[in-house]
Amino acid sequence: MIATPESFTHDVHSDAASGGYTVYSLPTAAPGKRVTGRDLPRADATAKVTGRAVYNTDIVRPGMLHAKVLRSPHAHARLVSIDASAARALDGVTAVLTRNETVGLACYGTMVKDQPVVATDAVRYVGDIVAAVAAVDESTALAALDLIEVEYEILPAVFDVEQALDPSSPTIHPVEPRGGLPPYRNGASASLRSGHNVSYEFRYSTGSPDVWDECDHIFEDTFRFSRMNHMHLEPFVTVAEATDDEIEVWTATQSPFNLRQELGHVFNLPENRIRVHVALLGGAFGAKNGPKADPVAIRLSQLSGGRPVRFCMSTEEGFLTVSQHAAKLTVKAGVKADGTFVARTSTVLLDSGAYAEHSPAVAEKAGYRMPGAYRWQHIDTVCKAVTTNTVPAGAMRGFGATQTTWAGERQVDLIAQRLGMDPYELRLKNLKKLGEEFVPGDAGIDSDLAEGMRLVADAIGYHTRDRGGNRGMGVCVGLKDSGGGNKPAMARVKVTANGDVFLNCALTEMGQGGHSAMSQIVADVLHTSRDRVVYTRIDTDHTPFDQGTNASSGVVVMGQAVRNAAENLRRQVLEWAGEQFALDPATAVLDDWTVRTPAGEVYPLFERIMEYFGHTGFEFSADGYYKVRNDADAPLAARCVFYEIGWAAAEVEVDPETGKVTVLQLAVSGDAGKVINKIGCRGQDEGAAVLGLAQALFEEMRYENGELLNAEALLYRVPLAEDIPERFVSITQEQGHGAGPFGAKGMGEGGMLPIAPAIAQAVADAVGAQLTELPMTPERVFRALSIGGVSSLLPLSHA
Amino acid sequence: MTEYPDRDPDRSTAADGELDTCIEFALNGVKQIVRVDANAILLDVLRNNHGCKGVRASCERGVCGACTVLVDDLPVASCSTFAFSVDGASVETVEGLAAPDGTLSPQQRAFSECGGFQCGFCTSGMLMLTTGLLRQDPQPDRGTIREWISSNTCRCTGYEMILESVERAAELAGETNGESA
Ligand code: FES
Ligand code: FES
Repeated sequence: MIATPESFTHDVHSDAASGGYTVYSLPTAAPGKRVTGRDLPRADATAKVTGRAVYNTDIVRPGMLHAKVLRSPHAHARLVSIDASAARALDGVTAVLTRNETVGLACYGTMVKDQPVVATDAVRYVGDIVAAVAAVDESTALAALDLIEVEYEILPAVFDVEQALDPSSPTIHPVEPRGGLPPYRNGASASLRSGHNVSYEFRYSTGSPDVWDECDHIFEDTFRFSRMNHMHLEPFVTVAEATDDEIEVWTATQSPFNLRQELGHVFNLPENRIRVHVALLGGAFGAKNGPKADPVAIRLSQLSGGRPVRFCMSTEEGFLTVSQHAAKLTVKAGVKADGTFVARTSTVLLDSGAYAEHSPAVAEKAGYRMPGAYRWQHIDTVCKAVTTNTVPAGAMRGFGATQTTWAGERQVDLIAQRLGMDPYELRLKNLKKLGEEFVPGDAGIDSDLAEGMRLVADAIGYHTRDRGGNRGMGVCVGLKDSGGGNKPAMARVKVTANGDVFLNCALTEMGQGGHSAMSQIVADVLHTSRDRVVYTRIDTDHTPFDQGTNASSGVVVMGQAVRNAAENLRRQVLEWAGEQFALDPATAVLDDWTVRTPAGEVYPLFERIMEYFGHTGFEFSADGYYKVRNDADAPLAARCVFYEIGWAAAEVEVDPETGKVTVLQLAVSGDAGKVINKIGCRGQDEGAAVLGLAQALFEEMRYENGELLNAEALLYRVPLAEDIPERFVSITQEQGHGAGPFGAKGMGEGGMLPIAPAIAQAVADAVGAQLTELPMTPERVFRALSIGGVSSLLPLSHA
Repeated sequence: MTEYPDRDPDRSTAADGELDTCIEFALNGVKQIVRVDANAILLDVLRNNHGCKGVRASCERGVCGACTVLVDDLPVASCSTFAFSVDGASVETVEGLAAPDGTLSPQQRAFSECGGFQCGFCTSGMLMLTTGLLRQDPQPDRGTIREWISSNTCRCTGYEMILESVERAAELAGETNGESA
C-alpha cells in the first residue's frame, strides 16, 4: 500500500514501538504511471534462495590453475633483489611472476596511473604485491611462495596525511606517473602532483570572497574521518585465459568496459582483443571498480602458456587491496548573527594510500560536494589526494560525500551551539529549496529537503522529545550529486517471435536490484510481465557499452537507455504490425505480445510473425542510448543528472560513566523519485544506513605506527543483527522529481551520508559532548565529555 | 598425490603423503561414501566433490557464516569443520531445501517474498541458519531470531528484512505443518 501523507503520519505514530517500513508519496509523484510489479520479489530471488545463483567465485575453466601472491611485510622498502628460482623449480608450479616478468607492462589507476602489476622498484605499503605464483592447486602455490627470497632495503615511511605533506618526509612516488585530467569548467579546476606526495588536487570556487566582510561570525573547525573496509562477502576473484595477443577474463568487476580499457593500457593490447565476462557480484560497494585480481591472473596465464589461472583473494587480502579514504577536513564558515549562512571554505585531505587507485575521482567529488544541502553565497574548497604508505583507498559507497557530510553537518551543529540556536531550525533556515541550483551552472535540487527532514524528525518524535536521562536526538541531511551526469549508457532489447524478451546491458548486479529494476522498466514499456524478460549475461564482446555501475546512477542513466531501447523496439513492432494488419501504428498499443487498436481489434503477433518470416522464427531488436548533454556552464562538464539525498534522525542514550552510546531509535529516508521495486529501494537505504551506523560507532581499520591492526575478518568488527537499533524506521519517499524512467532516482549511497552526523548531534544533545572524530567509541565520547569537547563552544542550552 | 576420479583441482587441500580417510554421511538425505584427505575441509568437499556450489566461501575463518550448513540439524560453519568429523552425520545444504519438484521451502519463499537478501552471497548460510533455528524453536520471538542471525554476517541488507524473512518463514512453516497435520 502506498501511504498518503495523512496515512503516513498515522502509520508512523501508531507504530512507535516497533519501527518498520513505509513508502511515502508526495502528490508530485505521478500516480497514474504504472510500473509493472513494484511489489514483486526481486528478479534474482529464485536463483539466490536455491543456491543456484552463479557468482564470479563459482567460475571453473577446464585445466584451471591457481594463483597466490607474496605481499610485502614492509610499509616502504626498496627491492634490492628477488630470487624465485627455487619456486620455479617446484613440482606443479607453472609460472612465477616477479618484476622481471613485467617488462613492457604499464601501470594502472584512475587519472593517475601509478600502480604496477607487481612491485618493481619498491614496495609502498604492507601488503603490496611483490611476486605471484601459478600452480596446479592453491597449496602448491602457497608452498612456492615460501621459496621466494626477497631482499629489502627499508625506507622511511609516512602514515599520516599531514606528515606526508611535509616536504621533509620521503617522496613515495619519485617518478611522475602517467595520467590525465577530465575537463573542468565554471569554478572547478584540478592539477596533478600539485605538491609533495599529492597525486591530485581539486579546487572549486564560486561567489565573491568579499562576502566574508558581511559575516558576523567566522568559525573554523577540524574534523577527522575514519577508514572503513568494504568487506563485501564475495572476495576479489578473476579467472584469466590469456596469451600475448588475447585476454579473456571472468571477473568480479562493477565496470567491465572500464576494466577492458585499463587492461588494454596495462597489457598494450587493442580493446577488441580483450573480453570481460561478469557474473553476479556478491557485493562491491565501490571496491570492485578498476583492476583488482585481474592483472596478476592475466600475466600468470600468459606465462603459463595460456592456461586458465584463477586468482581468488582471501578476505584478509581484500583488506590489503582497497579501502575507504580516511580524511582530515578543515571547514571555515562565515554566518550572520541570525544564523544565515554566507561563506564556506574548506580544505580536505584524503588519505589515498600508497597508490592513486580511484582517489582522484573521489577527491574531485569530495571537493565539489562540500557545499552540502545549504545555500552559501561564496564557496571555496580544496581537496587533495595525499599519498601515504597505507592500503590504497578507492571508491566506496558515498564516494567523498560521506567525508564531507560528516564535517559539514557536524559544523552546522557546532555553529548552532555557538549561536544558541536549535540545530534543526538552523538547517531549515539555510536548506536549498526544490529547484534551486546546487552551485551556479549545475542542475536544480530535485527533492524537497525540508520535507524529508520533517519526515524523519517526526518519525522519532524529535520536536516533542524529553531531554532527560542522558538521552538526546539529532536530525541530519546529506546530499551528493549523483555522478553519472557525464556518462553514456547503452542498452539493447530483443524480442523473439514468441514475445520472449532479452535485455542486454552492462549494469552489473551486485545486490542493488539493478536487474530487477531494468527488467521491470522493459516490461512496463512493452506491457508484458517481468517474468518474460531475461537479463542476459554481461560480456564486453556482445553487451552494449556502459561506463560502469556506480554512483547509484544505474536506475537513472542505464534506466533511461533501457527505456529508450524498449520504446524503440515497441515502435518497430507497431510499425511492422501497422503494415501487416493495415492499422495506424500511432494509435495502436502493444499489450502482452498482441496489438490492440482503439476500435477494440486484437491482433496476436506470433502467427503473423512466423508466417511473414517463413516459419523459421525472428527477433526484433532495438538499441537505446542515454547521456546528459555536455554543458559549458556546469563545473563538472555536464549537469548533475539527479541528487542523491539521505535523511536521518537518531535518538541515543549515552552512559556518562563509560561513554557508551546506545542508539535507541534511528529513522532513515531516501527519495526514490518513483519506486520501481519496493524491496530494492528499501534494501538500498537500510543497508547503507547500517554501514553508516557502524562507521559512526565502531567500524574502522585501525593503524598503529603504520601497522594495520585488524586486517582480518576475526578482528574487524562489522555490524551484526544485534547492532540494529531497537527501533529502526525506514521511509522511501516518492517525491516524483527524478530524471530516470517514470521519475525515478537512484538510491543506496544517500543512506550512508547522514547517519554518523545525526548520531553525533544526538550525543551532543544528550550529554553535551561534541565529537569531531569517527568512530564515536566510548573512549572518544568519554574524553569529549571530560575535556568539554571542542573549544570556544557555549554550553548547550539545556546542559 | 592420491587421485580421486571426482576431484576438482579447485581448492585442493591434498599434499603428498597425507593420510586420507573414508567417510560416510548423508548429504541432503542421500548416502555418500567418499575418501577425503585427513585435513580436508567440509566446505571444499561439498563445493568441489559434491558440486554444492550454493555453499558460499567468504572469510573461511568461521566468522561470517556464508558457508553455514546443517550437521545433524545444527548450523555449523563448513569452512571451519573438518570433513572427517561429519562421518556418520546428516549434512544439509541449501541445495536440499526445495522439494525435488522444485517447490520452494517456507524459508526460501519467505526470503524471496520479504527481500531477505540483496547480493545474495550470505543467503545460503542465512537460510540454513533459519532452518536450524526453526527446527529448534518453530515460533521464535524477535529476540531469539536476532540472536541467531547475529552469528552470520550480511553486508548488504541492514538485517531488518532478514529478521522479517525469518518471522515470515516461521509463519509459513507453521501453515504448512498445520495443513499436513
Ligand atoms: S566462510 Fe565460513 S564462516 Fe565465513
Ligand atoms: S545479501 Fe549481500 S551479504 Fe547478505
